[in-house]
Amino acid sequence: MTTAALVHVVVSGLATGSIYALMALSLVIIYNATRTLNFAQGEMLMVSTFVAWAAQRALGLPLPVTLVVAVAAAGLMGWLVERVVIRRAIGATHWDVLIITLGLSLMLRAGAGIAWTHDEFPFPSFFGTRPLALGPVRLAPVSLGIIAASLGLMAMLYALFTWTRLGRAMRAVAQNQRAARLMGISVERVYSRAWMLAAMVGAVAGVLVAPVVFLSSKMGLIVINGFTAAVIGGFGSMPGAVAGGMLLGVVENLAPLYLPSGIRYSVPFLVLTAILLVRPAGLLGRVEQRKV
Amino acid sequence: MTVRRALLPGALLVLLAVWPWVAPRYFVFLASVVLVNAIVALGLNLLSGYTNQLSFGHAGFFAIGAYTAAVLTLRAPGVPVLVTLAVAGALTALVGLAFGVPCLRLGGLYLTMATLAFGFVIAEILLNLDTLTNGADGLRVPPARLGALAFATDTSRYYLTAAVATVLVAAAVNLVGTRTGRAFLAIRESEIAAQASGVPVAAYKTLAFGLSAFYTGVAGGLFAFVVGFLSPDAFDVFLSVDFVVMIIVGGLGSVPGSILGATIVTVLHDGLAAFQNYRPLIFGAILIACMLFMPGGVTAAWSRVARR
Repeated sequence: MTTAALVHVVVSGLATGSIYALMALSLVIIYNATRTLNFAQGEMLMVSTFVAWAAQRALGLPLPVTLVVAVAAAGLMGWLVERVVIRRAIGATHWDVLIITLGLSLMLRAGAGIAWTHDEFPFPSFFGTRPLALGPVRLAPVSLGIIAASLGLMAMLYALFTWTRLGRAMRAVAQNQRAARLMGISVERVYSRAWMLAAMVGAVAGVLVAPVVFLSSKMGLIVINGFTAAVIGGFGSMPGAVAGGMLLGVVENLAPLYLPSGIRYSVPFLVLTAILLVRPAGLLGRVEQRKV
Repeated sequence: MTVRRALLPGALLVLLAVWPWVAPRYFVFLASVVLVNAIVALGLNLLSGYTNQLSFGHAGFFAIGAYTAAVLTLRAPGVPVLVTLAVAGALTALVGLAFGVPCLRLGGLYLTMATLAFGFVIAEILLNLDTLTNGADGLRVPPARLGALAFATDTSRYYLTAAVATVLVAAAVNLVGTRTGRAFLAIRESEIAAQASGVPVAAYKTLAFGLSAFYTGVAGGLFAFVVGFLSPDAFDVFLSVDFVVMIIVGGLGSVPGSILGATIVTVLHDGLAAFQNYRPLIFGAILIACMLFMPGGVTAAWSRVARR
């Protein structure tokens, strides 16, 4: 295989990986704030993308406005879900909350199927289809666009978590909820904002990936890849989520080239298992010290 | 006191025995599925409820048991069903032990992920071992045999399942009184305290994996005979998730909880089938309501009511 073709595969792997990374980040945002694994994250992505698509078709919106609609719908949905369901379960064990988010994901997928059928729909893309030629290397604009947009969003998240009051409050709650509350941080507000923020990050990922994989009610299954990415990176670590996502995307795209088709779909999981054997808390995670 | 304690299990046993006489044929089949799921839930609960290792890969163990039983019956038709089930359980237990050792290092979500990955890989292997499993086309399972007896009707399969389930439930109930059971309880309460009291935590956690896999493998074998047809896509991640739902809705670390949870989830899935597209919507809403109003599952809610 030529180097040029290899570069092409790696770049499209990084594009897939960017989506996984965004998915992993949204899982980690909620996990850090609330110690909950949100099973419904993929379905929230799917529903907000569907809402944007429906609005775009009904009103003939330009694409950037569609993105705004998706993000706004996601924010509203995140707020609603946290307010109506999750907050009632504060104090429940995380197994209980896990089942609640599972119930949510079933409901959202069924709801989307009822509203928009379970068919696949094409979704308009921000990016052209003419490949860019860089010397012998040909790159798809979609891949480059997804990577650039994701990196931009990650930079925004970094800024939010580093320099804003909300970001500091979220980090404080992630470190020690009780201490954060004693410092006057409203933990409930952080919960609510975390759900909104995660849903919004997911919505961006949804609008970016929908043109590539088609819009369908099954799109939510991407949450499994996001979860895998977050675990590879070390659950709870945001740089880890990005690294895990990218690694997973590249491995997934390279594997079919070198390995028989029979084990293609197992490769991400074999990689994951191998990494966990060496580093039980992921690439960048720390093994939690347990105290009595 | 002992009479009163024996009342409920006794009544259940009687119900189990007369069920095919009072229920329509379809409900006999459904009851077999409930019992199969109850065995899995019990096995999963041994692992998750007692040693805190939540597995999202039990569909994988279930599939190993089912395919072992099916392939064994196809290749060696003379083997009695109890031997077949024991082999299915033992082989699955071996896989469980082998998988449990590396999992010792993993905690919480990392273990969840590793088990999830295990489930995916097993489904993939089944799809590709098509000389044994017939791949995506699926495998027709001949009726189980015990000497001259063939389990060819729903009722006979039901009794086979019920008998095996009763033995396994009794074993699980009695386990709590043994050294192993006490070790599991100690680990459930506090891993560190158990370790400090001289319980070899690592050995027992691995044992829990093996035991859980054994239960699930036997259940898988029964499942193969009860439904009579296996295909790899029946053992997907959603099945693993269903098993987890059973034990959390029923109650973690509780034998009656496992049985209740398996019954609730199986019957709900079946009863809501008529609603077609609305089924997951209703099922999801019930799950949410269940966890909001009965935190800790049905058994926890029951004991709160009983204490009042």
